Amino acid sequence: MKPIDLTTQLAGLTLKNPVITASGTYGFGEEYAAFYDPSRLGAITVKGITPLPRRGNPPPRVVETPAGMLNAVGLENPGLEEFLTTCLPRLEKLKTPVIVNISGFSLDDYALMAAAMPEDSCIVAVEVNISCPNIKQGGLAFGTDPRSAEEVLRVTRKHTKLPLIAKLTPNVTDIVTLAKAVANGGADIISLINTLLGMRIDIKTRKPILGNIMGGLSGPAVLPVAVRMVYQVYKAVRLPIIGMGGISTWQDAIEFMLAGASAVSVGTANFVNPLAPVEIIDGLAGYCRQAGFTAVREIVGLAHQ
Amino acid sequence: MIIVLHREIVIENRSLGSDIYRLVLKGAVAATARPGQFVHLQVGTTADPLLRRPFSIAGIDRPKGEITLYYRVAGRGTAQLTRVRPAETLSVIGPVGRGFTVPAAGELLLVAGGIGLFPLLALLEAVDRSAVKVKALWGGANRQFMEDVGRETLFQTGVDYAVATMDGSMGHPGVVTDLLKKVLAEKSAHGLAEATACGQGADAASAGGGSGVLADRPGGRTAFTVAACGPRGMLQAVAESCRQAGVPLEVSLEERMACGVGACLGCVCLVRTADGMLVRRRVCKDGPVFDGREVVWDETD
Ligand SMILES: Cc1cc2nc3c(=O)[nH]c(=O)nc-3n(C[C@H](O)[C@H](O)[C@H](O)COP(=O)(O)OP(=O)(O)OC[C@H]3O[C@@H](n4cnc5c(N)ncnc54)[C@H](O)[C@@H]3O)c2cc1C
Ligand SMILES: Cc1cc2nc3c(=O)[nH]c(=O)nc-3n(C[C@H](O)[C@H](O)[C@H](O)COP(=O)(O)O)c2cc1C
Ligand code: FES
Repeated sequence: MKPIDLTTQLAGLTLKNPVITASGTYGFGEEYAAFYDPSRLGAITVKGITPLPRRGNPPPRVVETPAGMLNAVGLENPGLEEFLTTCLPRLEKLKTPVIVNISGFSLDDYALMAAAMPEDSCIVAVEVNISCPNIKQGGLAFGTDPRSAEEVLRVTRKHTKLPLIAKLTPNVTDIVTLAKAVANGGADIISLINTLLGMRIDIKTRKPILGNIMGGLSGPAVLPVAVRMVYQVYKAVRLPIIGMGGISTWQDAIEFMLAGASAVSVGTANFVNPLAPVEIIDGLAGYCRQAGFTAVREIVGLAHQ
Repeated sequence: MIIVLHREIVIENRSLGSDIYRLVLKGAVAATARPGQFVHLQVGTTADPLLRRPFSIAGIDRPKGEITLYYRVAGRGTAQLTRVRPAETLSVIGPVGRGFTVPAAGELLLVAGGIGLFPLLALLEAVDRSAVKVKALWGGANRQFMEDVGRETLFQTGVDYAVATMDGSMGHPGVVTDLLKKVLAEKSAHGLAEATACGQGADAASAGGGSGVLADRPGGRTAFTVAACGPRGMLQAVAESCRQAGVPLEVSLEERMACGVGACLGCVCLVRTADGMLVRRRVCKDGPVFDGREVVWDETD
């Protein structure tokens, strides 16, 4: 039996399979090494980094919702310097391609972080999280305004040769406008979706549950929204897509690829089933074998035919 | 690589009354579990309710390969858990977290609020009572709860204990921290300083095993220590009393969790380190047991 070709091309980046772990759900790669060898993955995406360390929001930071969860971690991270000196050497040991997720509150923040990422390490791409509030623009997210989004990518592009992934927020009226903007700005790859803004209230205390009041919705509940956005962006923009949002099984992953994703990211599902990413890798191969495909990339975008 | 994802067989899942259930699981967790650690348990197999639930390990039977958990029916997940039958299996991540220091000598005072008793039962079971003098203080709502839960747990252990109930129907009328204050006052009257200095050194104590949070602190294994679990407000009061009395304290904290393994930063608390730095710690991985002197109870301070 000939093995199924699982390799994936994302712009200049080749991954041995299309399954990635999503930023913020996989720490810096070490925790899940207790369950399986992370080098089985196509790549791992690390928690969003900011120039300076951040203590993040007060607890509670997570709350369950119907078939999903809200999180308001508030970008807690060790900061750029600590990331480079402590986290990166440890990531190197995992023998897995690493995508670094960067977040900033000004254009300078993004420029600084892009420039600081070594081009000869396990880091294979920089994912630009544009869901953060733009301090200069009064806190409006970079990612909800096409001009700011384009500008962030343009500035980041100038400071690194690594492939650039623009990670889009779904909290917009028209995702295609944003996708076109980041493509113009110089993104090589688009990843979608980040979390959907939501909140929950405790009916006993009559107060919002999250310390930050609002948080980002993820998990199976958001899957159809994410599939729809991948479908729309695939139709409108020529860049490869990393699809994510509620992927828990190989069937979910196939659905995203049919919609147009060249790769998929697994986030919240890690919390429920730590083996989800490797089960998905195996499931993709099984599906292709059953359906008569020799390479998984053959199914990308088939729902558009 | 330590594999920490297991399927455990349900041996028993039975109501004790007062909405408390006893769940006995057989599998790999018992072999390495230590008091104060917990399991992150999947209550169903569908996407809703989605997340795993954390429960303290209350009993560890290594020869039989069994752990005992006690849970209160608190919401959807625990309600679903009550319907699980013996011989079925559950997906368990564990044992997770950093547990209690198990003293090998001296005196240990357990302070429990309500269902905060459960992790302390494992500590009580692990400590060598011929070498360590143990006393338990336990507070709860009323006699019904104390009897339903205590009958098969604390009251059976033969340990010296005192109880407090909010409605005064059993033991001291009031809160468990009243009992703690009384014990600490008696201690200081009888010369706590002397007791703590009586020379049960770290060497003797390290034989007790465990990697509890007091283990790596000078004086952490002194002769008199307190271990506490319960609602946050209660723990804060316990910490204050112990601080005033100069008594080392370990607390087991609770926080809402997603991953349960340290990856999502969902379950953090704030800690003031010995050098005065305010830092975040993950309750699931860096805890759930913390040095009571380090926890910052109110973030708005
Ligand atoms: C380290 C640790 C050890 C625990 N040990 C025990 C134990 O031994 N026995 C016991 O009865 N309970 C224990 N709890 C509390 C227990 O996890 C919750 O009561 C349980 O998760 C409630 O689930 P539910 O679906 O019934 O409630 P729901 O309210 O429907 O739960 C909704 C969500 O909130 C979370 N949640 C609700 N209450 C709590 C809480 N008090 N703490 C943390 N998360 C919560 C749930 O996990 C779930 O994600 C422990 C909690 C932690 C953090
Ligand atoms: C706890 C948590 C933390 C997250 N942190 C980040 C982050 O730092 N940067 C980022 O770009 N996305 C972050 N995300 C979003 C995820 O990467 C992903 O886009 C989203 O959760 C949807 O996928 P899922 O439904 O599979 O989780 C986070 C999500 C969760 C649940
Ligand atoms: S629950 Fe994810 S870090 Fe503790």
